[in-house]
Amino acid sequence: MKPTARMSAIIAGLVIFLGLPLVFYALGEAPRRSILKEAFSILTLLAFSLMIGQFFLARSNEALLSLFKPPQIQKVHKYIAYSAVAVILLHPVLIVLPRAFEGGVTPWGAFLTMITTLDSLGILLGIAGWILLLVLVVTAYFRTPLMKRFTQRYRGWRYFHGGLAVAVTSLGLWHAIELGRHTDIAISAFYVSLTLVGFALLARLYLRAHPNKPRMSPVSEGAAS
Amino acid sequence: MTTQNHSAGPTRRAFLALSAATAGLASLGMEAWAENRVAIDVDAMSNSDLSTDVLVIGGGMAGLFAAVKAHDAGAATMIVSKGRLGSSGLTPFGKGFFVFDPETETGTIDDFVETVSRSALGTNNPVYTRQVAEHSLDRARELRDWGFFDQTLANRPFMRPIDERGIPLMERVVITHLIKEDGRIAGAAGFRLDAGETVTVRARSVILCTGAGGFKPNGFPVCDLTHDGTVMAYEIGAKVTGKEWNDGHSTRSVNPAACFDSWGDMFERVPATNGVDVHHDLGVDINYRAYVTGNPVEGGPGAPQPTEEIEGGPYVPQEFQHSGPPGGGGAPGKGGAPGKGGAPGGPPPGFSAGSNVGGASAGMAIHKSEGLVPMDARCASNIPGLYAAGDALGSHMAGGIYTQVGSSLAGSAVQGAIAGEAAAEYARSVDAPTIPEARIAGIRNEILAPLRREAGYGPAWVTQTLQGIMIPNFVLYIKKGSMMQAALAYIEELRDHHAPMLRAADMHELRLAHETRNMILSAEMKLRASLMRTESRCSHYRLDYPEPDDENWRAWINIYKGADGSMQLEKQPFGTWPA
Amino acid sequence: MTIKSINGCIGCEECVKSCPCDVIRIDPDSGKAVIAYPADCQICHLCRMYCPVDAIEMAPEKSIPVVVPWG
Ligand SMILES: Cc1cc2nc3c(=O)[nH]c(=O)nc-3n(C[C@H](O)[C@H](O)[C@H](O)COP(=O)(O)OP(=O)(O)OC[C@H]3O[C@@H](n4cnc5c(N)ncnc54)[C@H](O)[C@@H]3O)c2cc1C
Repeated sequence: MKPTARMSAIIAGLVIFLGLPLVFYALGEAPRRSILKEAFSILTLLAFSLMIGQFFLARSNEALLSLFKPPQIQKVHKYIAYSAVAVILLHPVLIVLPRAFEGGVTPWGAFLTMITTLDSLGILLGIAGWILLLVLVVTAYFRTPLMKRFTQRYRGWRYFHGGLAVAVTSLGLWHAIELGRHTDIAISAFYVSLTLVGFALLARLYLRAHPNKPRMSPVSEGAAS
Repeated sequence: MTTQNHSAGPTRRAFLALSAATAGLASLGMEAWAENRVAIDVDAMSNSDLSTDVLVIGGGMAGLFAAVKAHDAGAATMIVSKGRLGSSGLTPFGKGFFVFDPETETGTIDDFVETVSRSALGTNNPVYTRQVAEHSLDRARELRDWGFFDQTLANRPFMRPIDERGIPLMERVVITHLIKEDGRIAGAAGFRLDAGETVTVRARSVILCTGAGGFKPNGFPVCDLTHDGTVMAYEIGAKVTGKEWNDGHSTRSVNPAACFDSWGDMFERVPATNGVDVHHDLGVDINYRAYVTGNPVEGGPGAPQPTEEIEGGPYVPQEFQHSGPPGGGGAPGKGGAPGKGGAPGGPPPGFSAGSNVGGASAGMAIHKSEGLVPMDARCASNIPGLYAAGDALGSHMAGGIYTQVGSSLAGSAVQGAIAGEAAAEYARSVDAPTIPEARIAGIRNEILAPLRREAGYGPAWVTQTLQGIMIPNFVLYIKKGSMMQAALAYIEELRDHHAPMLRAADMHELRLAHETRNMILSAEMKLRASLMRTESRCSHYRLDYPEPDDENWRAWINIYKGADGSMQLEKQPFGTWPA
Repeated sequence: MTIKSINGCIGCEECVKSCPCDVIRIDPDSGKAVIAYPADCQICHLCRMYCPVDAIEMAPEKSIPVVVPWG
């Protein structure tokens, strides 16, 4: 029973977070360009949906907790943090990098223009989201020493990490809808729905949480939500 | 003109019902005669009134150097340009920069000038031919310092010297009028594309770097240029030359308008320098071939070259025959290896084999052959204080034919620098001009007239009509007296009846309206000069006078506005300065 | 259709400025580039080459009838 349920959960996860974005990409109207550029586009789209997926690879996802051990989930959460988040952090560079291989604006020139277009809401959202994401990554990396500074230790950390994740995702999503080459109505609706479910799971966890000690010890490697 | 919007209701509907037949064209933005639905309040438009010592009009290679050198010579200098610096006119597309480097050249500058003169059949002005060779290396060095040879897009490298010097730059300003007061230049006027605003600039000296122009043809990136500088200078009495020559670039017969595609990777290349390499690159030889044999004309590197000899056609001096694949893609070959800059007249590098059609650049002459008549070696026109450089100066640097490869960009750089220094010197010698307010008001009225029209002809429609008259091979390229007379009758009709009734609904259309008027005048100049030159020489080919006539025609043709307002033509013998 | 589409525009105006023929304008509502005057596009690709985010897709067809010397 449990192995098949686990398998279904994994497959469902892959279909929702990797398969569907690919389908939306394939159906999208944005014209195709070189293989490199399209590969970067797909990579960024998938990285973004995996980032939303982080809300589901957390303590807040009780269904998953009933199938997998927290350390297992936490491990996947961490791998995605390293890979997908790296892609998201790098995506401004990925957008301009292919210009090195063709005539026209240079990658550096394009990058400068991009990040100095400060009268664009989408760019401002992107920059803000990018900075917060960096904070999210750095604080997650140094969470053990950091937790000691929160009065409520693990719970405090969890609110901090979760809150930051909500902020990053909201900014990122808004940014993507404002500016994204591939974020047409369909894919935007898809991302927004996923995000809302993810936020809801988190909200449920926080609202239900008892004000007393966390169930897990702060030093244990719990899924960081 | 908000009042028009109020009255627009019923009349507009009634009008649209009447003009249902033109609805198809209307959806393309090409209505012919129609009510003018103006979106801006013309009477509320402001004017920015500026002043400077030297005003440079145009932001191409010539404008860049004119501004830099005028500034460095101590004059307060300002640039205005219809488009962006380094991203308008022809400059963004030229990739080969001729440099005469005495270290590497085997011949002398004298040899070079003589070779060009032989190829050009005397049509070149040897003073300007020599000048480009003498100064090209210095200009190339400056461009190298600014990073021009490191990138595809010229804007950033061009901005470097302008930013460093803090030279004021106004882009997307269309100049329509030159102002002359007390017999000398006093400034210029035009309007902004991005705001309902006219612009007047009072200047001691003006340098026209407005490039060449064409009939908004298909397949050559010259659709933003309509000989504006030439026409506005002509209007204030300047002499104009070179109108009978024809640039002979071709384009693909499938999607002919796609210039990027038919030039292969040329526009994406990084500019490079090249040394002496003199040709006699006609281009119009394929026009003749197509005229005689029908079409399509097959060509392009890799395609089987046409083998059968065609009787007659434009004359190529023996020495310069077969300097490239004959007739390949229309223009003889000199593409160069990838990464190397190409050159004007060269077949588009990477030009795929297939059928081609001529006339890609219809309405444009050989670079540097058409424009203001130079009075001396320093780019002065016959209007005191008015200079021109680059494609806007009829320096006949290369002659009525493409001779030295890559010398067009270099020529614009060299002449821009020389004109900049000469204009700064002139500006020091005169007082700031005074322009009466009434004069400014009158010019503003002329500028805005198409916006004020209740109804009128759509500039796009008039342009297409003009193209239909001028672009056919049997009018513009394979010339005959009778046919040109017929075309002239049409053009005079456009000049007298349509140009004064062009309408514009917004600033973009206002630009089109002025450009259309300029094209009409340019067409008239081309026809009159071509009718007058009763011989064939270089890129000017007449079926009724197929041979060069050295006895009568070792002369350039100058055009100027007569006292009665009519177009006058005169001969100026080769190798002389205007009287 | 000359410039075919603009996807992922950030509103930096590079294309507006670099178009020699004034084909592209910024839509005041969305803050993004729109193909305002397609008939005047000369298909030179400068806008595409200047666009920092590669948003512009070109097509070789002109949107109005094309006049050439012979056909
Ligand atoms: C496809 C192509 C390939 C070429 N290849 C080469 C080559 O390899 N080597 C070479 O030497 N040459 C080449 N040339 C030719 C060369 O590019 C031009 O001769 C040269 O760039 C002209 O420079 P310019 O500054 O004189 O004029 P342009 O570069 O044409 O500049 C004209 C300027 O005037 C402005 N302007 C025009 N009208 C107005 C107005 N009414 N108000 C305000 N501003 C106005 C325009 O916006 C523009 O900035 C090529 C040209 C083309 C199109």
